[in-house]
Amino acid sequence: MPLSAASINIDDSVLVQRSQRGDLEAMERLILKYQGRIFNVILKISGNSDDAAELTQETFVKVIESIDKFKGRSSFYTWVFRIAVNLTLNYCQRNAKMATRSLDAEEDESDSQARQGLKDFLSDESAADPAVLAQRRELCDLAKQALLKLEEPQRAVMVLRDIEGMNYAEIADVLNIELGTVRSRLSRARSHLREVLEAMQK
Amino acid sequence: MKANPQIDELLCSFIDGELPLRQQTEVQRLVARDAEVARRLRQLQNCKNLVNALPAEPAPIDMLEQVKRSLERRTLLDSHAAPTVSRAGARHLKIRRFLAAAAMIALMGGLGAVVYQIVAPVSPAVSVRPVADAPRPIQVIPNAPSVAPAPVVVAGQGFSGRLELRTASLTQADAFIKAAIEDNGLKGFAETQTLADRRVYRIECSREGLDRLVADLGTIWTNFDSATLVVDTDRFADPVVIEPVTVRQIAQIVKQDSTEASVQVARGVVVLNSFAQAMPGGDILSTPENNTTMMIATPEIPRPRLASNDPATKAIPAPPQGGVQTTMTIVLLNTQ
Repeated sequence: MPLSAASINIDDSVLVQRSQRGDLEAMERLILKYQGRIFNVILKISGNSDDAAELTQETFVKVIESIDKFKGRSSFYTWVFRIAVNLTLNYCQRNAKMATRSLDAEEDESDSQARQGLKDFLSDESAADPAVLAQRRELCDLAKQALLKLEEPQRAVMVLRDIEGMNYAEIADVLNIELGTVRSRLSRARSHLREVLEAMQK
Repeated sequence: MKANPQIDELLCSFIDGELPLRQQTEVQRLVARDAEVARRLRQLQNCKNLVNALPAEPAPIDMLEQVKRSLERRTLLDSHAAPTVSRAGARHLKIRRFLAAAAMIALMGGLGAVVYQIVAPVSPAVSVRPVADAPRPIQVIPNAPSVAPAPVVVAGQGFSGRLELRTASLTQADAFIKAAIEDNGLKGFAETQTLADRRVYRIECSREGLDRLVADLGTIWTNFDSATLVVDTDRFADPVVIEPVTVRQIAQIVKQDSTEASVQVARGVVVLNSFAQAMPGGDILSTPENNTTMMIATPEIPRPRLASNDPATKAIPAPPQGGVQTTMTIVLLNTQ
């Protein structure tokens, strides 16, 4: 289960204040606290671990460089994710063609066993348990591929909600969009993901 | 069931717990009544669960070190770039400061020169006399009378100097000056020499007597082609030369209580004349008399009494006795 946003904010303001005063240890603690989650979100959006590592690194460099400008109007949590997602979406836009080619190559490698597993998943009328699904590695690989088929804005909303566990208001804050846009974009993303998965099983 | 965006939105919000309690209840009722909606709800829920089930990948273990290294690289790059910019900026600032300092020094130098010209003794080398003018009053005049050399004045005396007047009407001017000397009771205090091309009048009298004589000269001032006043100082052969000079300037110099005061005023006049000549239209002082350009306070000169043959209308002033003694040599030169 993803951590709730509220639980993350504990001590953030103190660490941020110390960082703004030049306390390197506080800044290191903030990096250590968020690096895993930032990396995971970036990876799920970008689909490449090397790129995700580089983008995560760039995110924290920007955070350190801009920590003095952080006024606390939003939480540090949403601020750091806003930097990360913006960097990632910009990167994805610049490398859209390359990402599509990479995805097509991976799709060809998916074997028939994985497709059968996906077919079972889609035809199952019962609600799937995430813990059980996580055990089915081939299904997860297909899900990652399907996720990358979505447009980046839809992918970002879905990752922030279903992987990072943000609520709609936090997603709206991170992506700087309206709450209604979050709602509709997330709905279309899930619907589209279902369609992509159905196309992949054929 | 064909996807209905509005139903999907409602169901997704229901799945995510983002609906108010009342709408949640409505969705639950809808799902209970409609099998298709219930099926769609499960599909969307499974999508969410599938994404949620994706394993979290750990960040590279050296992420913190990578961030530090990246910062160090940027700092190094900035430190390489910044000095160039800051050096250029510093150089620019230094140039501006240097120019400002140079301008200030030049300004102070200019002011100092003006003050020096007013206060310090004027040497022949820095005399502000017009270069083209000839003959120079300081030069030895050919066949000059023995009374011409500038005396070294004793401190405490009044004005001492020489007034050179050039005129084409030598005879008339000579007659007028002699009459003026006599009318002002200065005959006993004046020596006169008559030469072919000039007349020389050496007058040693009181300040008031000389003042009256100068005022009389003002009435025929337009008859003079040019006028030069050489004011003796306490330094030998270092007089102050005012060329051209106006009758008001002469009067102001003469009326001073001491030689030093006369010399100071004379130097001031020289500076003011040079400023006036340097300004547009500055040659206005080149005429022997132009009262409108007098830049310093000028005394009210009593109107001269014309030389008259009517003794009844002339009151001969008492001969000057005591008070500040002045010495003036008037050289009247024929320009014809």
